[in-house]
Amino acid sequence: MSSETTHASALERLRGLKERAERGGGSAAVEKRRKSGRLTARERLHRLFDADTFVELNQLAESQAVAFGMQEKKVPGDGVVVGYGAIDGRLTFAYAQDATVLGGSVGTIHGRKICRIMDEALKVKAPIVGLFDSGGGRIHEGFFASKGVAGMFYRNTAASGVIPQISAMMGPCAGVSVYSPALTDFILMVEGTSQMVITGPGVIQSVTGEDVTLEELGGARVHSEITGQAHLVAEDEATCLNTIRTLLAYLPANCEQRPPSLAPDDDPMRVDAELEKIVPHDFRKAYDMHAVIQRVVDDGVFFELLPKYARNIITGFARLDGRTIGIVANQPNVLAGCLDVNSADKAARFIRFCDAFNIPLINFVDVPGYFPGVKQEHSGIIRHGAKMLYAYAEATVPKITLALRKEYGGAVMAMCCVGMGVDLMLAWPIAKLVVLDTATAVNLIFRKKMQQVQDPQAFRDEMIAEYDHKYSNPFHAASNMLVDAVIEPARTRPELIKALRMLGNKQTKAPFRRHGNIPM
Amino acid sequence: MIDVTAPMPGKIIAVKVAPGDHVAEDQEMLVFEAMKMEMPIAAPAAGTVRSIACAAGDAVQGGDVLAVLE
Repeated sequence: MSSETTHASALERLRGLKERAERGGGSAAVEKRRKSGRLTARERLHRLFDADTFVELNQLAESQAVAFGMQEKKVPGDGVVVGYGAIDGRLTFAYAQDATVLGGSVGTIHGRKICRIMDEALKVKAPIVGLFDSGGGRIHEGFFASKGVAGMFYRNTAASGVIPQISAMMGPCAGVSVYSPALTDFILMVEGTSQMVITGPGVIQSVTGEDVTLEELGGARVHSEITGQAHLVAEDEATCLNTIRTLLAYLPANCEQRPPSLAPDDDPMRVDAELEKIVPHDFRKAYDMHAVIQRVVDDGVFFELLPKYARNIITGFARLDGRTIGIVANQPNVLAGCLDVNSADKAARFIRFCDAFNIPLINFVDVPGYFPGVKQEHSGIIRHGAKMLYAYAEATVPKITLALRKEYGGAVMAMCCVGMGVDLMLAWPIAKLVVLDTATAVNLIFRKKMQQVQDPQAFRDEMIAEYDHKYSNPFHAASNMLVDAVIEPARTRPELIKALRMLGNKQTKAPFRRHGNIPM
Repeated sequence: MIDVTAPMPGKIIAVKVAPGDHVAEDQEMLVFEAMKMEMPIAAPAAGTVRSIACAAGDAVQGGDVLAVLE
């Protein structure tokens, strides 16, 4: 063999190295995962991106560690594939951990590759997607691997609110591999094959004696229903990757841009008489707020986030007039639509995401107050409720609030009323805007009088009717500019769209401060 | 087996299913009154009603088991 390197010989060597890198942990490992419906890292990336657009970087990087036989165990790529491509024609960065290589563990080079691609995404200000499938830090590389991990957290934070960051849990993940996702904007999980925990069942067993499986501890159902840490759950990997594409289509590339606009084919001036029938005038009757949202937004399409967590509040993206909006809505058929710790938490984070990325907020209100009880009080409803106040007051994107029925008490501020910086406060004619619901208010105000009259019940009914006629209706609120306009329910869609068009160029300047101190 | 529980203290207005019935996820099983509103209590998952532990008119506490699904 000649010692001279020719184009041909060098290319041959490159092909060999690429082939080795692309084999990852080997075909046996790959086959085993395929049996449980799990794709390889590269397969996931190819499904995520538009066909033939993915460009891989640092494919040949390998572990530099020498302890514990790492030089024999190492695989080119070091267990993660990083790069960029197009999603619906828009530049997006991504990394996918390869669980067939040392369990997808985060070694120094692995961490450096992820940090490097995050730096790239921040440099050009484009979204980044992380496909996580890793048991955590690589023990064999010891403490040195921490730098890569810390580097990921540092960059997640630096990028927070600058570029959209989306994480998908696509395998059992623990420790460091779940803290990075936790710092990103949205987490998706795959049903059955993904879990997120900090400490696994083994350690828990030995420390607290609790006996629990990984799925019971941190599976998709747990995080989508109990912890609220999984915004979306997909039935399989292909659906998960497709959902990421759908989500990104609502969002701008970075915080300096408006979200992409679609040419709307749903008539912006569409009037809908059904809305009056869906929402009962009898406030004792519940209804499903989703039905209202679906009839108002473009094509009835609503991309809900955390649908099964804090179901008493609804958050998600939709389009009006072709433009992305963020919707926050009370759900009257769960906990009577009351606000509580979890719903305040869910709403506040969503509001701040929308504000970070120029997404107008539309609030559909039917709220009787905060959910009472010792549990709520001792869980800190004060500071959690305050989060929602902070988030709305701070937001400078267009904010439009529509009172459908109940606008009662302190919850009114939490749902962004006049005074909270709302741009437009609308109300349906049947709405009631009061500090206390009428019956309770009457009982309080006329307590002494009712003890004096002949027929307290009749007097009470008379006072209730008078109170509603004079004070609780939206016309009274409108008379003092606490409602900007009372609108016909059927005209909800055109009224919201007209307001959004008017607010399209809204610009506000906040006074300088390093940053606020949101109640946590 | 899944317990279908009361979300908070209130009153059962109506029971819409019987033991042996098949229910879909989110299907209305009971009508429940609390906070001055009538609200549906829906099946947390698809299944068969194993037992009903309440009747119309009952006052219940948050967490009380109202029905069991399997």
